[in-house]
Amino acid sequence: MADLDRQIEQLLQCEPISEAQVKQLCSKAREILIEEANVQYVDSPVTICGDVHGQFWDVMELFKVGGMCPDTSYLFMGDFVDRGFYSVETFLLLLAYKVRYPDRITLIRGNHESRQITQVYGFYDECTRKYGTSNVWRYCCEVFDYLALGAIVDGRVFCVHGGLSPNLTTIDGIRAIDRKQEVPHDGPMCDLLWSDPDDIQGWGLSPRGAGFLFGSDIVKSFAHSNDIELIARAHQLAMEGYKLMFDKKIVTVWSAPNYCYRCGNVASILELDDQLRQEYKVFSHAVSDVRSVPAKLPPAEYFL
Amino acid sequence: MIDSPSNRDADAAIRSTDTDASQSRLSAVRRDYLKDPFIHLLVPRAHSAPPRPPLINIGTYVRAEAIDKLVYRWLNLRVTDNRKKQVVSLGAGSDTRFWRIASSSCKERLARYVEIDFPEVTGKKAMSIRKHKELSILLGENVKIIAGGTGLSAEVYHLEPIDLRLPPESTLGVLVQNGVLDPTLPTLFIAECVFVYLRPSVSHGIVSWFTSTITGGCSGLIYEMFGLNDSFGRVMKENLRARNIEIPGVEESSALEAQLQRLFNGGIQSAQAMTLRTVRQKCISEEELSRISRLEMLDEVEELDLVLSHYVLTWGYSLPNGVTDEEREHWKAWEL
Repeated sequence: MADLDRQIEQLLQCEPISEAQVKQLCSKAREILIEEANVQYVDSPVTICGDVHGQFWDVMELFKVGGMCPDTSYLFMGDFVDRGFYSVETFLLLLAYKVRYPDRITLIRGNHESRQITQVYGFYDECTRKYGTSNVWRYCCEVFDYLALGAIVDGRVFCVHGGLSPNLTTIDGIRAIDRKQEVPHDGPMCDLLWSDPDDIQGWGLSPRGAGFLFGSDIVKSFAHSNDIELIARAHQLAMEGYKLMFDKKIVTVWSAPNYCYRCGNVASILELDDQLRQEYKVFSHAVSDVRSVPAKLPPAEYFL
Repeated sequence: MIDSPSNRDADAAIRSTDTDASQSRLSAVRRDYLKDPFIHLLVPRAHSAPPRPPLINIGTYVRAEAIDKLVYRWLNLRVTDNRKKQVVSLGAGSDTRFWRIASSSCKERLARYVEIDFPEVTGKKAMSIRKHKELSILLGENVKIIAGGTGLSAEVYHLEPIDLRLPPESTLGVLVQNGVLDPTLPTLFIAECVFVYLRPSVSHGIVSWFTSTITGGCSGLIYEMFGLNDSFGRVMKENLRARNIEIPGVEESSALEAQLQRLFNGGIQSAQAMTLRTVRQKCISEEELSRISRLEMLDEVEELDLVLSHYVLTWGYSLPNGVTDEEREHWKAWEL
């Protein structure tokens, strides 16, 4: 415990822990995660967070607004890594909290918690840059395979990274998935991590090339048949930090302010109290200083 | 302009945007978004150029496809007497368009192709062209080195070291006097990410110079960021400033009308404008969209739309005097 507390202290300074420590942390995390259900039960009150994408200093802003773990119980809906400069520190900090306070933080899988996606969007490169080998990336990917696919708060608020699947009409259906694998290219597990709500009726093709678009009728019938009052999901940039749709039956929570250090958006977290009343807390990105941006600027992501 | 060290740094920062653009193009080519057999010859240290993220590859593709389409369609527009045409590429940087046209059937339509940029840029490009047979062979036999090695002059292709901040009468005007530019030919000026770096009065002077000098029908095509008076735009300006890049010429308004007005104010008679977001949605065929969607997994469409909606293409033309009704109709077809 003392070791783990020291690692948490170190990670809170945005300093990576050693490769041996990562190996041990990931192994302990797997032991905890393997016991979790595909759709993990969570009790209110809880604070629900969307994508954070390695924006470490903005996660610190999030904790300032929402309170520290374990004082506040957290549910992170995936996409911990890629895009930002500090995926390693961000994911390992959340994972260290998970191992230290397993009942006070729930981590579910996002579409970026995947071997394939992290090789395109930065996490793989960051690991090899910071550790010299891809071992840390490998350990983390093994953890990804054990992350829950969703969570349900007090049996009434269904939380998932992306959305629904045409192959799943019930939450029990999700329980039947064998989740301990790389995210497949299609099928129900893929859809949960990739789909988006859209102003259509029924199901539509997703422009992302994976998952589906689903309309208000799908959301209403899923909520009705599973006795759900709200679907909370992440996965899509919301310029105002969150976006309620379909008579407030579904909400997108987005927790990466000034996403990719480029988008200029604000972020939010959703606090559910013990009556499941919703309060959205909006926050802005950390003041950029020498700490938040690496000394060597990465290329400008603009079309110059 | 006083050549103080800080101005030199600012110029170097602006020149560095060409490296960024050419590396982005190289990345999109290597990923099979675009075909360009020449770009690797013009990117410094191409072998170590980093691959760019999918969003940048897709945006680079949309930008390049749209500008290519407009340029090829302009070259193919039927004009009186089937006259050949000339293209002037302002701030051309490492652009490969001339070589792509020269190795296509469109080369017959081309009388002149003039590239203009800072001497530091044209000097390096002149060297690359002479070094690589694939490039120099398409210039023809009579290639002259000009301006102390910072420029080239061939039958069709001309590479001219010019600082566009200087009065156009004394820079572009000289190109007319020495026969590099023929004002009686239908002429297209291309400004890809150039005017944003110039003061509005300077770019106005350039557009006005073209419309008042070219008697054979003057067309213009501008591509750049715009609509920066929102939070995305503020972040862009901050991020560019962190690289010492200022964009005094950027249009803050997100109204396309402001883009058209800039061409109209410079003497262009008819113009259209479209954001890259609209180009992707309306002007790229289903087959192409489906092909590029298979090249890399694009994880986020909202972000792509947000980014693409801050770049705009504006193009327009003025007809020459005494144009026939038939030709007038042809020009109306210059669309995306």
